[in-house]
Amino acid sequence: MSSPSQHADLSRTLRWVLVGAFLGLVGLMLVAGIAALSDLNHLHDTELTARHSFLQRTQAISVLCLSIESYNQTAERYAASPEPTHPDLDRMEHLRSEITTVLASYPGGRESDDVDALHAIDDLFAQQRSLFEQMFTWPPEQRRLRAVATIHRDIEPLQISILEWSDRLRSSGDRELHTADQAMLAQFSSVQTSLTRSLVLALGSGLVLVLASMLYILQLERQTQGRYLELAHSRGELERLSARLVDAQESERRNISRELHDEVGQTLGALLVDFGRLSASLSNAPPDVRGQVERMKAVAEGSVRSVRNLALLLRPSMLDDLGLVAALEWQGRETSRNSGTEVDVRAEGVPETLPDAYNVTVYRLVQEALNNAARHSGARNASVKVTCDGGRLVVEVRDDGRGFDPKHTRGLGILGMEERVRRLGGRLTIDSQPGRGSAVRAELPLEPNA
Amino acid sequence: MRKIRVLVADDHNLIRAGLRLVISQESDFVVVGEAENGRQAMEKARELKPDVVVMDIGMPDLNGIEACRQILESLPDTQVVMLSMHSDEGYVLRALKAGARAYLLKDSAEADLARAIRAAASGKSFFSPAVAKLLLDDYMRKLERTGAEDSYELLTPREREILQLVAEGKSSKDVANLLKLSVYTVETHRANILQKLNLKSVAELILYAVRKGIIS
Repeated sequence: MSSPSQHADLSRTLRWVLVGAFLGLVGLMLVAGIAALSDLNHLHDTELTARHSFLQRTQAISVLCLSIESYNQTAERYAASPEPTHPDLDRMEHLRSEITTVLASYPGGRESDDVDALHAIDDLFAQQRSLFEQMFTWPPEQRRLRAVATIHRDIEPLQISILEWSDRLRSSGDRELHTADQAMLAQFSSVQTSLTRSLVLALGSGLVLVLASMLYILQLERQTQGRYLELAHSRGELERLSARLVDAQESERRNISRELHDEVGQTLGALLVDFGRLSASLSNAPPDVRGQVERMKAVAEGSVRSVRNLALLLRPSMLDDLGLVAALEWQGRETSRNSGTEVDVRAEGVPETLPDAYNVTVYRLVQEALNNAARHSGARNASVKVTCDGGRLVVEVRDDGRGFDPKHTRGLGILGMEERVRRLGGRLTIDSQPGRGSAVRAELPLEPNA
Repeated sequence: MRKIRVLVADDHNLIRAGLRLVISQESDFVVVGEAENGRQAMEKARELKPDVVVMDIGMPDLNGIEACRQILESLPDTQVVMLSMHSDEGYVLRALKAGARAYLLKDSAEADLARAIRAAASGKSFFSPAVAKLLLDDYMRKLERTGAEDSYELLTPREREILQLVAEGKSSKDVANLLKLSVYTVETHRANILQKLNLKSVAELILYAVRKGIIS
């Protein structure tokens, strides 16, 4: 067995655990997202660098090949022409320095293959150049005769070698790019894996959390429902109890009233009749005897009156003898007689025979309202109106007294009225404001056979 | 001389015995029977045909008012003297509507009973002085508090005369004979009186007359 306070403690702990878990989950997803983003950024940078360096190399190789080709053509033209021109020389010089620059500033890592190729190209170009320079020293006649053959025999093989080396250089660049691509692919897949892992983790723990929350909510719901049922039950008990109290009070009053009226009242009445006869037969007796009998008779009369008033207060016999309307009219006159409030009673279409519960409810309600009007609110006028239309009985008691605030003033009298009206499935409304009089209105549904 | 035959109906033995004693002291009365509830009173009345029924208003198994109504339905010549603990007009008016001729309070019954029975037997109304006083008090208080005019002032002398005769229990024909008028004229006067005084029935008219002290 767990006590309610332990239960509440557990519930509170569980709530905080759930809140913590939710925050953790959100944090986890945030961290995983940021890490994945930065990894992707890094990957993008690496790829850009690799592409850039590949492009630079390809460009450098193209420039190298074109320059060497250009140099060769210029050199051939220079060697073949009878009148060598200065511009060609200048151009050759320019190309040569460019080739040297390209060779020196070839980008990328200085892998041994690349370095070998660069050296080889440098060597081959140097050999070509020295062959050309040798050729330039020849006299024009000899150049014309031998140049083409020399070029064909000595320089072209060199040229082919240069192209071969540059091809090798190019393919090394391709390889490097491929390697970079491979590395990037690996890196990307690792990012993907870690992202998938954290996603699965988040999803899994989210699912667990949702399940836990659902269980928690279900438990709360069950608790609430249990408590509600408990409350409704105890409320019903209370209503039944107070209904029984009202019933008991009413039947007790009726019993006492009947007892007073039938036994005490009638005995005293008989006594009065006897006194009357006695005093009549004592017409010739001494005055002091007659006076004594008269005094006794007066005492008995006083007792009869108080017993009768007491009985009426407990349960007006009109309610049983003459019905509801007569009892209300009597109550109105009684109030008019005994207080400064003049009461006007009107009834329309009220059946002569109503179930006793209705008679008693309406009577006690009017009694209470008139009592309030006369005693507490100092009303000059009050009106009681009972109407019966269709299936409901409407009772209205108005007065022009001081009024009160029904929200804050809730005496036992009003509670009693509410209780009685509610038991018959009716509705009680009290409309009053300080200084504006008050109106008590009850609507009671009548049973179809009532 | 023919004695007035009386039936006594009350649910309490002591009261019945007391009433019987009071009545039998008068030489012109004779108690012909007793009943202890309304139904029995009705049966005995039909069987004995008394001149006057002295009836308690609150009895088990058919109360006095209902028994009075049913007795007068079958025996219109019988008169009813109602006995009650209550002086309130609710009871008085309903007893009058049921056709009762006299209304006596139990606490003054022994003093007034003989007078009430004699009045009823000769077709006249009788009310305990306390009842008449209460009715008058209620009436005066209401006039005073509401500031309403006494509607009695609206009546012509002839109407007042007729009001008194009707309240005393005379029929329109009796009134016409007494005043040497046609029955039709008397009926018209009666209707005017009821309208001027805002009354609905002869019972209310009798009550009004008691209040005003026109009859006792």
